[in-house]
Amino acid sequence: MGSILIHAAEQGFAYGIAALGVFITFRILRFPDLTVDGSFVTGAAIASSLLTSMGVDPFLALAVAFGAGCVAGAVTGLLHTRLGITDLLAGVLSMIMLYSINLRIMGKPNISLLRVTTLSDVVEKALSPLGAVALLVVLAGLTFLIKLVLDAFFRTEFGLALRATGDNEAMIVSQGVNTKSMKVFGLALSNGLVAMSGALVAQYSGFADVGMGVGTIVTGLAAVIVGGSLIRSRRIGWMTASVLVGSLIYRVAVMFALRYGYLIGFQASDLKLVTSLIVIVALVIPTVRERLMRKVGSC
Amino acid sequence: MKRGIAGLAVGLLIVAIAVTGLGAPIRIGICKIVEHPALDANERGIIDALTAAGYVEGKDVEYILASAQGDPNNSIPIAQNFLAKGVTLVVAISTPMALAAVEVFEGTGVPVVFSAVTDPVAAGLVLDDDDSSQNGNVTGVSDLIDVAGDLALLKELSASVRRVGIVYNPGEANSARLTTIAEAAGPGLGLSVVKAVADTSANVPAAAQSLVGRVDAFYVTTDNTVVSAIDAVIAAAEEGSVPFLMADPTSLRFGPVLATGFDYYKHGLLAGDIVLQILAGKKPNQIPVVYQTGAEIHLNLDAAARIGLEFPASLIDRATGIFFGGASWLRSGD
Repeated sequence: MGSILIHAAEQGFAYGIAALGVFITFRILRFPDLTVDGSFVTGAAIASSLLTSMGVDPFLALAVAFGAGCVAGAVTGLLHTRLGITDLLAGVLSMIMLYSINLRIMGKPNISLLRVTTLSDVVEKALSPLGAVALLVVLAGLTFLIKLVLDAFFRTEFGLALRATGDNEAMIVSQGVNTKSMKVFGLALSNGLVAMSGALVAQYSGFADVGMGVGTIVTGLAAVIVGGSLIRSRRIGWMTASVLVGSLIYRVAVMFALRYGYLIGFQASDLKLVTSLIVIVALVIPTVRERLMRKVGSC
Repeated sequence: MKRGIAGLAVGLLIVAIAVTGLGAPIRIGICKIVEHPALDANERGIIDALTAAGYVEGKDVEYILASAQGDPNNSIPIAQNFLAKGVTLVVAISTPMALAAVEVFEGTGVPVVFSAVTDPVAAGLVLDDDDSSQNGNVTGVSDLIDVAGDLALLKELSASVRRVGIVYNPGEANSARLTTIAEAAGPGLGLSVVKAVADTSANVPAAAQSLVGRVDAFYVTTDNTVVSAIDAVIAAAEEGSVPFLMADPTSLRFGPVLATGFDYYKHGLLAGDIVLQILAGKKPNQIPVVYQTGAEIHLNLDAAARIGLEFPASLIDRATGIFFGGASWLRSGD
């Protein structure tokens, strides 16, 4: 029981970085960006290629993946702002282009990282006294660090202008802010984080697969929405925290579906159904509790 | 460290069961990447092999079945869950599933048997397919098909075949590998390979159409994306009046002129045999990777008639089954 919760938490943080990226486009910029299904793989592809062919440091691989994701996001931004392509289509086009690009980067559809030194190997060796939680500590630390940097960034003047671009574009244009550049920057930052998450997940999983990005947008949105409905706040620190909580809940749901689904008669092919049902329960609990509290209060 | 101790404990448990033949039922985790006729048959074959050897489900052995439902991101949690449930052995069907199982069970001492993996060495699952001594706790069965043999069949069918069109998804590890093999083998047989890419099932019709008039035959390997939209390739081949060979016998009735390949139920039996060897006390590194042999040839006479093609007697003699008059016929005694 304990060990699978640790693993679910590890995944919650690793995928949580991608959820933070999705949060930036959907909640801050209000831009429905589908590039992420491609840029998640781009990060995994770059990191695994660097690790297998050049033996690059696993942490450096994360940084390079971030950079590549930024480029992918910027392309979507430029397609939208400079060429006037609608937001959804710009993202879809980038996503499709990235499929071919990712295959070029990898050279084959699936790269094994079993025999190279990955981040997991480095961490487990360096922090061996921590035992089973070593990797969790590092993943949580890294994700929190990114969260804190984002929080600080969104409190700067530039960060506030970025938030205003999504909230009230007309107002911020009248303040003399170039919202086109803001959107390009926001998309770059978002996809950089998503790619970094992909690089992290590949190293954690021991392989990169060209199909691993499908559904990044769905799970990312699930984390943003689940977290947002559990923690309702307009303060940026709480908002980013809620995204990570949402990501953790989603990964715990997958693990619970796998581990306990059979107890209620579910079979292997019901995995996705059970996962979603658990997320629904997590969403409903606070509402039900609120209603009960109100009832008790009115008595 | 903890993993090491757990691995030791599991190892001792295996030894204890092997020595005494007693104790609680052994737990075997079987996972596959997606629900698919071939992979489902593979899974059944593994279980049937164990049942036939006397392992009664529920009494001697307990199976934990899992499917990643097409999402490689689910493969790691599935393997971690197997580990938490204390399985004595894992069977992983498909390349991504096998990679995840090997990553999670590394250092635990729990054997991992892979199945339906085309190239286990290129995938990084094992170091050497023949000399298994350095392969650790991993072994399994490969479904690498005889691509050169398939191309030779097309040449045998009609000596005028010079250009072979392959529709494939470069995103599928197995299919990409087989296409590379075909490109390398073609020149030796006097054939050139023309590729058309379909990244999703929806793009198969366009890819197949793009080859009409440019090729003398169509060839599709074990590509799940293309197999899902096989009608489109059949239509293109018939439009061009050229033969179509498919490396999947179960799709014969849909209309390729000939189909070759493995029975995935038998593939599962081979994987089950490896599992039995391990349960009997053999170590995975004492069992070399098994390459399935004995590909079957199936002919579709109805489809051949539609493009005015007659099979040479040499092919009919070797066929395991034919499709004629809207029904399948298998060679008696098979």
